[in-house]
Amino acid sequence: MREHTTTTPSLAAQVVLLAAIILFCLFPFYWMVLTSLKTQIVALQTPPAWIFDVTFSNYYDVLFDNAVARSLVNSLIVAVLTTFLAILLGTPAAYALARFEFRGKKELWFWFITNRMVSPIVLALPFFLIVRSFDMLDTHVVLILIYLTFNLPIVIWICTDQFRSIPREIDEAAILEGASQWRIFFSLCLPLAAPGIAVSAIFSFIFSWNELMYALVLTRSAAKTAPAMAVSFMEGYSLPYGKIMATSTLIVVPVIIFALIASKQLVRGLTMGAVK
Amino acid sequence: MSMKSTIKRLTGGAALALALSPVTAFAWSLEEAAQPYAGTTVDVVFLLRPGYEAAKKMLPEFEEKTGIKVNVTDMPYENALGEQVRDFVANGDFDIALVDLVWIGNFAENEWIVPAEKFINDPALADPDLDLEDFFPLVLDAFGSWGGTLYGLPFDNYSGLLFYNQCMLEEAGLDGPPETWGELKDEYGPALTKDGKYAFALQSKRNETQSADSFARVLWPFGGSFLDDEFRSNLMSEESQAGLQFRQDLMQYMPEGIVAYDHAEAVNALAQGDVAMITEWSSFYSTLKDPATSTIGDCLAVAPEPEGPAGRKPALGGFSLAVASQADENEQAAAWLFIQWVTSKENAAKYLELGGVPARQSVYEMEGVAEKYDFVPALVESWQEGVPEFRPRFAEWPEITEIVQEWGTKMMLGEVSTEEGAKQIGDRMEAVLEEAGYYDGEKPLVQ
Amino acid sequence: MLQKTQDLERPAPKESSNAGTVSLGTFLGFLSPAVVTLAAIGIAPLAFAIWTSMRDYNLTRLQRTPFVGLENYATVLTDSVFWDAMGRTFTLLLIALPMQIAAGLGIALILHRPGLTFLKTIARLSLVIPMATTYAVVGLLGQIMFNLKYGVVNQLLGFIGIAPVNWIGDPTNAFAAIVFWDVWQWTPFCALVFLAGLTTVPGEIEEAARLETKSWWTVLRYVQLPFLVPGLTAVLILRTADTLKQFDMVFTMTRGGPGSSTELISLLIQRIGFRAFDQGLASAQAVILLVITIVLSRLYIHFFYREI
Repeated sequence: MREHTTTTPSLAAQVVLLAAIILFCLFPFYWMVLTSLKTQIVALQTPPAWIFDVTFSNYYDVLFDNAVARSLVNSLIVAVLTTFLAILLGTPAAYALARFEFRGKKELWFWFITNRMVSPIVLALPFFLIVRSFDMLDTHVVLILIYLTFNLPIVIWICTDQFRSIPREIDEAAILEGASQWRIFFSLCLPLAAPGIAVSAIFSFIFSWNELMYALVLTRSAAKTAPAMAVSFMEGYSLPYGKIMATSTLIVVPVIIFALIASKQLVRGLTMGAVK
Repeated sequence: MSMKSTIKRLTGGAALALALSPVTAFAWSLEEAAQPYAGTTVDVVFLLRPGYEAAKKMLPEFEEKTGIKVNVTDMPYENALGEQVRDFVANGDFDIALVDLVWIGNFAENEWIVPAEKFINDPALADPDLDLEDFFPLVLDAFGSWGGTLYGLPFDNYSGLLFYNQCMLEEAGLDGPPETWGELKDEYGPALTKDGKYAFALQSKRNETQSADSFARVLWPFGGSFLDDEFRSNLMSEESQAGLQFRQDLMQYMPEGIVAYDHAEAVNALAQGDVAMITEWSSFYSTLKDPATSTIGDCLAVAPEPEGPAGRKPALGGFSLAVASQADENEQAAAWLFIQWVTSKENAAKYLELGGVPARQSVYEMEGVAEKYDFVPALVESWQEGVPEFRPRFAEWPEITEIVQEWGTKMMLGEVSTEEGAKQIGDRMEAVLEEAGYYDGEKPLVQ
Repeated sequence: MLQKTQDLERPAPKESSNAGTVSLGTFLGFLSPAVVTLAAIGIAPLAFAIWTSMRDYNLTRLQRTPFVGLENYATVLTDSVFWDAMGRTFTLLLIALPMQIAAGLGIALILHRPGLTFLKTIARLSLVIPMATTYAVVGLLGQIMFNLKYGVVNQLLGFIGIAPVNWIGDPTNAFAAIVFWDVWQWTPFCALVFLAGLTTVPGEIEEAARLETKSWWTVLRYVQLPFLVPGLTAVLILRTADTLKQFDMVFTMTRGGPGSSTELISLLIQRIGFRAFDQGLASAQAVILLVITIVLSRLYIHFFYREI
């Protein structure tokens, strides 16, 4: 293998490859938006149309008739608050895992991660019965709390690695000056770990925004989130593809905008523990 | 007890109750009956289907007359059972149960729904014009009652019909629709399957569609059934096998990928002129007639489903509305008033006009109705004879339908033979019934 | 092994100096909010699931929920349907994950090279889109794009002379469609993780290596790879867990069909628990699934990850 010398791909090849990557990533998104602008008959045409009379009626319908707007607001409330809580609770824990030495640390770390592995299908019904007994079905709070079960682990995971990559000398200098752990955490390490926090916030937001299973089981109308809404049009009886894709576009666009804004941090924060 | 005598008893009871309280009998009006319940909210699940859209358009009138608020939660069919079961288990919000005919055994045995008797015998609540005998007896029996007890009133009602493209048939030299399934396969199949068009499409997607629209549809006309008299699997019988084999043979005249077809795909295939015939629920008439969703226009024609060796056994499906036990007394009363009103004789014509399909015999006898809605004669004929247990309606159906869906589609894909598939379904179905206690006499053999 | 040794050799005094200064109060102050929250939210339902897994617990027969011990587990472990679903889930994992890792690494290497900054920025931004797209929407989109008749995929294939493929109605093709979407959605994630790993390679080392050899493979294998291992482990753990949980996309595209060809383990559990209402059996399946996930993650960490 050592002798297998390949030089850098030529510039032209790189351009072709990059164009292919961009097309591959964007085409489904493009097709979604395109379909959302079609009437039912056009959407079901064979072969599919690329050029047609654009209609915005699907958007009008879903926004004004089908309470999609409210479900978007619900999704926003739930995703923002659960992300905030996950960061608030997760970063100190991550810091402790990165900096403090104690027995059972590995197990604790693994226990955190394990929470992310539990399939929502296992917990959905128990949650339903418990939440019902508190008379809290169809509320934002319930989703916010339950989403912590998969958001906290990701925050803790990514941030632990970030804190570890911050040189300990910084802490030690501060300790010599008499700073408390909390002070070191807030004013020294937290700012330095910003990329990791940003990345875990992005993921937290994406996971919460996109979650379907819990939302389906635990909400009905008042707190119904956007993905649950999109699926509710899916009646085998008729498939209003234009409407479904309009709803989908409305769901996907906000999270993409959010992710694009924060995408600079993505690469810096996703090092997953590789230490410089 | 037969359904007929139940109805007589109930009607008699109502009449008696009325006779005993002449004051209310003369003065009964919805407004007055509802007065004590003004301000009550009743919660109900609706599906995203034409019959429910129609009912929603009628709601304001009811709310205005009664002061009762009807709170509708829209849901796709696929979620409606799970959502309601969880709600009933958790003693939740729904005051009215939306009951698919295959759920009624389940809901009734769990006592999640209240026998209609309670309200019919209450002169303050029972509309003197309720007239249960006006419902198609088959429909009232199959959709609304379980074990001889009436629970719900038929609300969103379907029968399987043969929708076909008259023009394609004429072009192929075929005069009128096929009378029998045999004809459909042997004559119409080869004649209409050509140039990328297909004679027939049988929606067979792996969900309730597979069980109700595909699997059961080929069992009954050929003399087959799910269960024999002892509640053992009857799927290995010669007749059942003949039906299942017929389905396999018919597939050569259906479009590729038919196991991925749900109602929407089958209806669209007919609507776009790609297939010549489909057997679908009566309620699709409006979709197929509407130029916004269909290109075949006046070529659309409707007939009863073809007959098999065992006669015409069209698919039977539909929903009734029943009062939920978890509702308190006020909500129950308000719920009943709504159910009674929305399924009433008086409102049937309006419901039909708005796109619903009422189960009232009287409305189809009205002048001009048969002319205005082409599907009416075929529908009325289909509801004359039919099998209430087209799909068994006992509490175990949700479990059994999952088994039928899985192995039914495997059969169609040729992954298992019809015998092997039927054996798998049979064994697994009997295991469910065994556990439920049908074989040790714990439970009466009712389907 | 190498990683571990390095860890052990890390100067010891630093570790202890910190550990010594932390009071119990501080320690609990940092950790307990997260621990208590997760425990409060997560443990009760899980315990309930385990409890139901040992009962005949059907939502439509709640009058009678007898204790049956490990019977549900025995049923699950001897049921071919369960193992078929498990097999399909691992088939998906074993096909899709290597593709995601290989393609992701390739993309990361291209993006890591200098030059073509503008195009590369666009590419990096495009990568975010599949990752952020709602999983349920991906499935819905799949229904439309892979449709035999009005799907754009067959139209595009037609342009290069390939006859229409029956994607969703054919068992093998439907599975292929699921693999496609999984790769589409998660390759960018792998790419970004690897790209992040590549940026941690100190510039001097990489440049020195490039002066010595022209082979990108040698640089990758001996210089960059060590820095990619943590990311790789993370990808393995996350993708394994998520594939075993995979539900939304498949549910909205094929619902497990045709036949059972795309019925992954999560779809099976959902079917048993939420459609047949046999929560006891479904819980047993889910507990077994959880055990498998944990064991796999332990193995990944054992073999790839440095000690925390």
